[in-house]
Amino acid sequence: MKSTRIAVFKILRFLTLASFCLGATAFADEYGEVSQLLKANKFPEAMARVEGALKSKPADPQLRFLKGVILRNQGRQTEAITIFTRLTEDYPELPEPYNNLAVLYAGQGQYDKARAALEMAIRTNPSYATAHENIGDVYARLASQAYNKALQLDNNNAAVPPKLALIKEVFKPNLNNPKPGTSTPAATTPVATPAPEPVVKPVPSVTVPVTKPATPVAPPATKPVPVPAATHHAKDVEDAVMNWAKAWSTKNMPGYLKAYSAKFDPPNNQSRKAWEKDRRERIIGKSRISVTITDLTVSVNGDNAVAKFRQAYKADTLSVSSRKTLNLVKVGNQWQITRESTGS
Amino acid sequence: MRLKFILTYVVVFFSAAVGLGEAVAKTPVRKSTPTTRSTPPPKAQDVLAEVRLIDIYRLIGKGNTSAALAAADALVNDHPTFALAQLVRGDLLLARTRGVAKFGDIPAAQLAGSEATLDELRTESLVRLKALRERPPAGAIPSEFLQLSPRVKHAIAVDASHSRLYLFSNSAAGLTLVGDYYISVGKLGVNKVREGDLRTPLGVYFITSQLDPKSLKDFYGAGALPINYPNVLDLQRGKTGSGIWLHGTPPGQFSRPPKASDGCVVLANPDLQHIIRTVAIRTTPVVISKQLKWVAPALTQALRDQFQARLSAWVQTKSGGSLTSLTTFYAPNFSNNGKTLTDWLPTLQRELKQASGRSIEVKDVSLLHWLDAEETMVVTLAELIQGQRTGLTKRQYWSRRSGQWTIFYEGVI
Repeated sequence: MKSTRIAVFKILRFLTLASFCLGATAFADEYGEVSQLLKANKFPEAMARVEGALKSKPADPQLRFLKGVILRNQGRQTEAITIFTRLTEDYPELPEPYNNLAVLYAGQGQYDKARAALEMAIRTNPSYATAHENIGDVYARLASQAYNKALQLDNNNAAVPPKLALIKEVFKPNLNNPKPGTSTPAATTPVATPAPEPVVKPVPSVTVPVTKPATPVAPPATKPVPVPAATHHAKDVEDAVMNWAKAWSTKNMPGYLKAYSAKFDPPNNQSRKAWEKDRRERIIGKSRISVTITDLTVSVNGDNAVAKFRQAYKADTLSVSSRKTLNLVKVGNQWQITRESTGS
Repeated sequence: MRLKFILTYVVVFFSAAVGLGEAVAKTPVRKSTPTTRSTPPPKAQDVLAEVRLIDIYRLIGKGNTSAALAAADALVNDHPTFALAQLVRGDLLLARTRGVAKFGDIPAAQLAGSEATLDELRTESLVRLKALRERPPAGAIPSEFLQLSPRVKHAIAVDASHSRLYLFSNSAAGLTLVGDYYISVGKLGVNKVREGDLRTPLGVYFITSQLDPKSLKDFYGAGALPINYPNVLDLQRGKTGSGIWLHGTPPGQFSRPPKASDGCVVLANPDLQHIIRTVAIRTTPVVISKQLKWVAPALTQALRDQFQARLSAWVQTKSGGSLTSLTTFYAPNFSNNGKTLTDWLPTLQRELKQASGRSIEVKDVSLLHWLDAEETMVVTLAELIQGQRTGLTKRQYWSRRSGQWTIFYEGVI
């Protein structure tokens, strides 16, 4: 008897979700508004809207999902975990709650739980790309922990860092990448529409140029081919590049951020502030970083310069060598970065 | 990419493990001996960690990395400080993100400064596999165990070249191998000569006592079984040092590298606990050899007969009551606690007087044969004067010089 009822509930839920898919109005608006508030980082307001909507629809998965996202953005990890855990219980067929649960666990350093949740996400939807990406990070971190135990090293050193990066990436695809599968399209769509931006925004994928040389952010736009006008300037530019790499290696955040001009346009339409926050998390989070510059060539044209080099980046378990180009501008007697691109 | 990982991994390390298959499964790695009442039946968690590790190797060898990872997860859950298991688990996890080219493919940045530790883990893995591949022939026993009295219930043999301790049960039917365990020896290997040389002694020893882990530093783990190094032969050769124990591992280390101790024999705590529960203090012999020579008991019959004839002659002569005749059985370099042969003769004289014409007999004879540059027989026996119910348990060290066995130590234990 009971099982029948549960089955009916499931069908109902599915139908409810499906109705959103068809572009249902009232709630779609609700999501849209919450999404806007989230985008504007107005978390209390977003929360108020969600709470209000939940009063009439306490079981609504999208609202609960959004509430989880808001809670996480407010740093209320435990409550967010509760929300997503319940969602996985109520909707075991949806990978997204598993995924976000994993992100929260990873953020707490509970990689085993994160792994289990991501494995569930993949089990529910084998083609869920976000979970695959995330689980790769989690496996790497677990491997690192296992190796530390094997080498009888203090595990705490390396354990802290890249959780945050993980979290944010998760939300983005979670909301952005609707599953191709047909089993739960309804759930993805409504969630995907309202929530993606706010989460993405603070977490731009600025790492791409840094850690994944294979993905050039943008081809280094054709630079004004310089004339060997001022060789003494070239030396200054070289110094600026080396200082930038040194600040990065030593995790000297003020020095690192100062290397970037106010004109520097952060990738992915991020605000300068969001970009700085992201860089801080990604750099401070690493237990050790080494950035080595080789084959540095500099061309100067007036107050503009282009530095091209090979960058060997090592951080924790990652080791990447890539071509990089920095565009610099002279401000006062300082050369500052206006553009950073990977690839030759 | 993953397939490549598996192949490389297997070729280098695990082909042996794969072939090992049934042999390992059947190896009586730990059986509760029916004679030992105190040994509880093995618990699920008690399945030897090493057996589980080898099982993971085998799964990797078969290309079943998912099952291998699940098994590795379970193993480190039960034994979080089993470094080798963590290493393999690290590889299995990493293999899900990129190719793993070698056993212990730790990223360079993480490995920096710990290369030696990784080498030790690789050596530990190899030597464990070696011990499981090169099994003692069925029914064979270490040649040192020439004869063991049925009153001696267990015997231990350590093979340094295989980092292995073999545990035997003994009965009237002879010795049976009941378990074998990975061990560590001295940092500088074996053949201890002097104090502080970081080597494990080679020879025939006995467990002298049992130390309560509560009285020990955590470093020694689940307890300790001291052995009688330096023994009489060692002392005669001027060897120094003391405090050679079989002991456990510190809380943070399930097992230690093959060469890790200051001279002790180190076992994983569960293994040591099993041995402590099993063996008797004082009577259990411990042979420590660079490489054990495994022989069928029948092959040592000639030596056994030959030595027993000599021992019988000693018994008869002692029964005959002539000190002059008896003295011919004792070596010129005889020594007991600083007493020379001349010092010892009054003791012999007194014993003969006590017997006062009655013949003596010996019982419960154990013969341990040690062969290095010299040939030594360590004899334990009960000596009774005819008509008496109780006698003395004695230990004698005989050496064979110019073809003749003579006693260079004798004492009551």
